[in-house]
Amino acid sequence: MTELPSFLSRWGAEEVGPHRLVIRVEKDKLRDAVKDLVSADEMIYLSTMSAVDYPERGVIELNYFFWSVTEKKGIIIKVEVPRDKPEIDTITDILPGANNAELEAHDLFGVVFKGNKSLRRGFLLPPEIVEAGIYPLRKDAKGV
Amino acid sequence: MREVISNIFSRPATIQYPREPAAVSSEYRGLHYPDLNKCIGCSLCMVDCPANAIKMVKLPPDYTNPKNPRGIYPVVDYGKCVFCYQCVFVCPVKAYITSNKFDMADYVTHNSQALSLKTIRKGDKG
Amino acid sequence: MAKYVEVPVGPQHPALHEPIMLRVKLDGEVVEGVDIVTGYNHRGVEKLGEKNSWVRDIYIFSRICGICNAVHAQTYTQGVEKLMGVEPPPRAKYIRTIVMELERIHSHMLINAVMAEAIGFDTLFMLIMRDRERVMHLKEIITGQRVHADIHIIGGVKRDLKPETAEKVLRVLDYIEARLKHYKKVFEEDYTIRKRLEDVGKISKQEALKHSLVGPVLRASGVPSDVRVDDPYSAYDELKPNIVVRHEGDSLARMLLRWDEALESVRLIRAAIKNMPKGNPVPKAIKRAAGKGEVFSRVEAPRGELIYHIVSTGGPKPYRIKVRTPSFNNIVNSGFAYIGERLADVPVILTSFDPCISCTERVLVVDEKKGLRKWVPFMALSRGEIRVA
Repeated sequence: MTELPSFLSRWGAEEVGPHRLVIRVEKDKLRDAVKDLVSADEMIYLSTMSAVDYPERGVIELNYFFWSVTEKKGIIIKVEVPRDKPEIDTITDILPGANNAELEAHDLFGVVFKGNKSLRRGFLLPPEIVEAGIYPLRKDAKGV
Repeated sequence: MREVISNIFSRPATIQYPREPAAVSSEYRGLHYPDLNKCIGCSLCMVDCPANAIKMVKLPPDYTNPKNPRGIYPVVDYGKCVFCYQCVFVCPVKAYITSNKFDMADYVTHNSQALSLKTIRKGDKG
Repeated sequence: MAKYVEVPVGPQHPALHEPIMLRVKLDGEVVEGVDIVTGYNHRGVEKLGEKNSWVRDIYIFSRICGICNAVHAQTYTQGVEKLMGVEPPPRAKYIRTIVMELERIHSHMLINAVMAEAIGFDTLFMLIMRDRERVMHLKEIITGQRVHADIHIIGGVKRDLKPETAEKVLRVLDYIEARLKHYKKVFEEDYTIRKRLEDVGKISKQEALKHSLVGPVLRASGVPSDVRVDDPYSAYDELKPNIVVRHEGDSLARMLLRWDEALESVRLIRAAIKNMPKGNPVPKAIKRAAGKGEVFSRVEAPRGELIYHIVSTGGPKPYRIKVRTPSFNNIVNSGFAYIGERLADVPVILTSFDPCISCTERVLVVDEKKGLRKWVPFMALSRGEIRVA
């Protein structure tokens, strides 16, 4: 069967509710964790990636939500990137399905995913907001 | 497929609306307005309205209701209203009168003021 | 002559009446790559949600999409209920389930009708839409409006289901079931439909998983993934829906799978009405403040997995709500499925993904066959400087 349980103990997963597990990783380790996860369970897909802005802590938190079809578990990988330099490596080469989530986070929060070639502003926002340089879902965004 | 084609000749499934009244069930969430004899002016409906369609306005000077100490009542702007009926649901005294009236498209904007004021007169008589 | 011709399909009417544009790169008749361009419809719902109260947001989020409004409300309220520690009464769960399953039936009927129209079968479109109106009417007598249910409230539902309404629902369902079976037969047997849909836009199991496709698209490629079963919510842990899976992975499989699911929904509604517990589903007071915490709330919408990430830092307003709709994954990430098909099949493939642009609500994505093929200037080609392998 799958090697998901050993993956979960390796990365220190913590259960937060029915069908939900949280793994916190450093931002340099994200790629390793995702690679490990994909090789541990082939019936897994990236469901979504949600960014949350925490100005008081000075970070933007990225929540990668994976769903394991066979094990019926939602695995949330939490990564924090600094707000003043929000950069992280892309995972689109491992899972191309991450493309839309990365583009969205880039457009709305200004997170830069290094290595994602299709990354650009204005992919979902109207041009006037892009030209004003606003990241509308950041908590300190003005004029939206 | 032949049976389907024969089906078509039965009778038209769509009714021309302006000529015949559209069939609307009695459960339909249509036009609604507050009954001023019941309203206590608590403004909960205004707070919860997702479309900001409800404004609180002063009662007419010749009408006072002891249950309504603040002397205000809600006016629903039907142009903004999304007919979610949150106001009807949240009202602590169930003051909203509901109907299944739906044909509100017009050249002028409608609100519930006139309908609400009518309820006063009814209350005075009865 | 021209090695690549770029054909814009849309943004208006690429067989569907919603603003999406496919920039199709063609080599002769064969599609070499597709840029999916949307973003005509960004409405900033997530920001609006942060600015409004918990209760108002139920209606704001249910208005993300007209067709799947009840599932949006369900995802939101079940997440908020978890944060607030409220448990809806069992009868409310059943009523929610009935409304959501009716929504699934009419959504699946709609997309199959649109597919019939896309392949030029307008009679079938009209017939399906006529019968769909019956389902909409059921929604109207249960909730009060034929499109927007707005029946969800934190801690229950706003209206109880009356016994005579339930009887009427069962009566109409008999008719609907017969029609659904008939339409399924039409899709299975009709020569024209088969010719247009079979083996078009094939997606393998691995591709579907890798590109994060969800819902009927994923299940038509042989992956048994259904939130109703895997991660049960509402009354689904008691009703036990069956997962419909097909293994072909082509457009026809996706459409037939939708008919099967609609039939399964009919069964679920019957079971829900039969096993409906007694009690009062309408809460007396609404809770207005949530504690600290965050929750990932998942629901199986007609189009696939719908997921909300709700973050609360306490107080009367949500801190952040992330909405990921099924169409956002299915449309944006599906550019690879068009490659190698004919231009005439592009609308068919798009329709078979059941796109809902108000759900996608944003997004412009470039999905070229990354790294495998390089795009060369047209002039260079015409001069014969570069040969394309």
